Amino acid sequence: MAELWQGLMKAIELIVTLDPEVLEITVRSLVISAASCAITALICLPLGSLIHFNRFRGKRSLINVIQTLYSVPTVAVGLFVFLLISRAGPLGGLGLMFTPAAMVLGQVLLLVPVVLGLVISALSGVDKAVPETAVALGASKIQVTALTMMEARFAILTAIIMGFGRAISELGLSLMVGGNIRGFTRTITTAISLETSKGDIELSLALGIILICVAMVINFLLNRLQNRYY
Amino acid sequence: MGVIETVNLGHSYNGKTILKNVELNIPRGDVLALIGPTGAGKTMLLRLLDLLEEPSSGTIYFDGVNVTRFRNYRLEARRRMAFVQQKPIVFTMSVYDNVACGLRLRHEKGETIKRKVDDALELVGMTEYRDRNARLLSGGETQRIAIARALVTAPEVLFLDEPTANLDPVSTSKVEELLAHIIQERKTTVVMTTHDMSQGQRLAGRMGVLIKGELQQVGNTEEIFCSPQSREVAEFVGIENILNGVIIEKDENLATVRIDGSAIQAVSDCGVGDKVHVLLRPEDITLSRAKEKSSARNVFQGRITRVAPVGALVRIEVDCGFPLLGVVTRRSAEELELTIGNSVYASFKATALHIIRRWN
Amino acid sequence: MSPKAVFCLLGVLIIVSLLLSLFACTVQGADILPPKQRLRVATTTSLYDTGLWGYLEPIFEKKYGVEMDVLYAATGIALEYGKRGDVDVITVHDKARELQFISEGYGTERVIFAYNYFVVVGPSHDPAGIKGMKPEDAFRKLGESGSVAFISRGDESGTHAKEKAIWKSAGFDYEKIRKSGQWYIEAGRGMGPTLLMAKEKMAYTLSDIGTFLAYKGKLDLVPIVDKGSILLNVYSVLPVNPDKVKNINAAMARKLVQFLASAEIQKLIGDYGIKSYGMPLFTPCAGASEPTS
Repeated sequence: MAELWQGLMKAIELIVTLDPEVLEITVRSLVISAASCAITALICLPLGSLIHFNRFRGKRSLINVIQTLYSVPTVAVGLFVFLLISRAGPLGGLGLMFTPAAMVLGQVLLLVPVVLGLVISALSGVDKAVPETAVALGASKIQVTALTMMEARFAILTAIIMGFGRAISELGLSLMVGGNIRGFTRTITTAISLETSKGDIELSLALGIILICVAMVINFLLNRLQNRYY
Repeated sequence: MGVIETVNLGHSYNGKTILKNVELNIPRGDVLALIGPTGAGKTMLLRLLDLLEEPSSGTIYFDGVNVTRFRNYRLEARRRMAFVQQKPIVFTMSVYDNVACGLRLRHEKGETIKRKVDDALELVGMTEYRDRNARLLSGGETQRIAIARALVTAPEVLFLDEPTANLDPVSTSKVEELLAHIIQERKTTVVMTTHDMSQGQRLAGRMGVLIKGELQQVGNTEEIFCSPQSREVAEFVGIENILNGVIIEKDENLATVRIDGSAIQAVSDCGVGDKVHVLLRPEDITLSRAKEKSSARNVFQGRITRVAPVGALVRIEVDCGFPLLGVVTRRSAEELELTIGNSVYASFKATALHIIRRWN
Repeated sequence: MSPKAVFCLLGVLIIVSLLLSLFACTVQGADILPPKQRLRVATTTSLYDTGLWGYLEPIFEKKYGVEMDVLYAATGIALEYGKRGDVDVITVHDKARELQFISEGYGTERVIFAYNYFVVVGPSHDPAGIKGMKPEDAFRKLGESGSVAFISRGDESGTHAKEKAIWKSAGFDYEKIRKSGQWYIEAGRGMGPTLLMAKEKMAYTLSDIGTFLAYKGKLDLVPIVDKGSILLNVYSVLPVNPDKVKNINAAMARKLVQFLASAEIQKLIGDYGIKSYGMPLFTPCAGASEPTS
């Protein structure tokens, strides 16, 4: 108990004094997750509306598949990305292995099904009269899509924030394709996982506290957004 | 040529015919009310005219352009029109942003948008609501916003689908007042649907009667109400005495029609031997206990078979060899002792009758 | 929240992501900024857990102006990274597999740079009664009793290979030992975590002396068996062969070999740990013939 208490005090000290290592790892985690999230959004917003606004055969099944992929384990994606971007793999020439870019790529693959599924359900949640009204107001096809998305903006933002939450708390993938390289690919989760064993309890605790704070902020935002539906 | 013209317009959905052979010519500045029973295809016709839906057959000309054929022109044409749905929805934005929507979709400049939106809000009397969340407005307010949203783009044609169907009486009269004002001020071409004939009468110069997907008659209000061209229209506009007969004699334009052994004199251009419907509004029948001297050419004695009070009026059914329905005020009914079994005289003028040919 | 604000937020996110991609490209050595060289090193967990790489990395980076990525990997996966071209150079400690790596053409050379010893560590009360025995005898006793917990790295690391070799010398079939019961625990983790696990479970384990000393403060384990030529632990550095594997920073890898073998660094390796643990963790041996006992 004393050890935990001491560690906790030290951890808080690290956070309050803005320890450069804690700061660096935190900022890196946030930036990588934000980037994954943004790229995912860039993919999912158009793709989601494309799927939602078009009728085609197998649409239902496609949505089912997307929803099944919600729960794909991070290590499975990690293995896939590893095989893909390792020098000996098909994308080896890009030299992405053990870089933040690899982590972003993996996280994007991990997030796309979740965010895509949530974006589609966000769009289906919009009153059918919205696109109709948009057309009647003289909207072109693209403008109809934009207006419908605008109506679903809170649900879409919720989807993206949830994606961010998944990205920042994910470990297996970051470890496998990032490699936990100090000063380059070490993020909050990989640091906690590997540095604990090296005895950097304070650092791990500090990062753990930060991660919990991030989770709390995310939850708070989600709640705020939930309340915006009327 | 009118701003909108249709040729042989038809539409079916899932094998069910919704509209057929609609020929409509709407001149600029016209205010046309489409009336007809529920399910007659009024809304669908509006949607086809606003190019929200593509017709299964036929042609629509907008401002002289065949928009059924030149599909690339549809968006531009649609942007010159505006549509207010029966149950309008507003977007989850401020009132201002809602009204600005159409202008933004047309890529208007910021200052222009501001000026036009403020004007439109003033027109519908919603200036104070400018920054409110549009989703929290009442039904009548929503309707006014929807009208402002449609008007702000200065449409050449404004479509209104049952503009007051979902509103309480107070909101209804407010919205109607607003529409009347707009029609007078802006001289916009308006095509509206309504199931409320009196509303059509109040707002529109012309009416079209749509029954079972067919446009039965288009004409000014008086024509529709007094000279319906078919039995269906007559029934819809509330002409309750519809008698089948044959013309047996003709003197100038005064025809004698035989109905179940009785002869009625009426003004008509039909020839001898034509089978006809004789249409007579209950309001045009005078009921009395004694045979009075009057200028009415038609006087029939009969027995009262039914008395049904409706509000301040009483509907009285009389059997005088053929059934007739008349209306009197409650007071007259009491004074004249119009009760079941009593004998009465029903009299009506030859000009009160409207004769149309029948084909069966 | 107005739609504008929402879309501004989205816009900012997207811009941040694009900046990051740019940044990722740049550190990759793409052509936006003058490229900075990277050298990727896969190192066995024991060299990492002792902190030796953490100590040497900044020195090397400063000297050669290179960004060094040190990957924590057991010998098996470290060699695999080398074969796949994901790292430029490897530091490991499993002679048999190192020689195989070179004979298959994946490595250009094998340069030894330090050694120390493995120790069998366990609870101080020595429940199996193997203290002071020869390693082979100690393992034979452990294997025959089959009741005292033993934790194996179980991760195809150099330490794991050494453990297998000892079982073999003790006269066992390793596969049989592996499946002989609950006493034999495969951790599947690095040296440090395995030691912590042995502490929690009051079990024996085989560790390199360096990691053991580095972790000693957190453990209540003691060395039980520490003498025997089979316990020799030689670390070597193997640059990946650029002729066999594409995209290898061979020049910098060679510099790392020279660096590790230089007199200056050899001295640092020899002194490493004295300050913290009171005794050196490694014996430098570059240039000398391979120690045998």
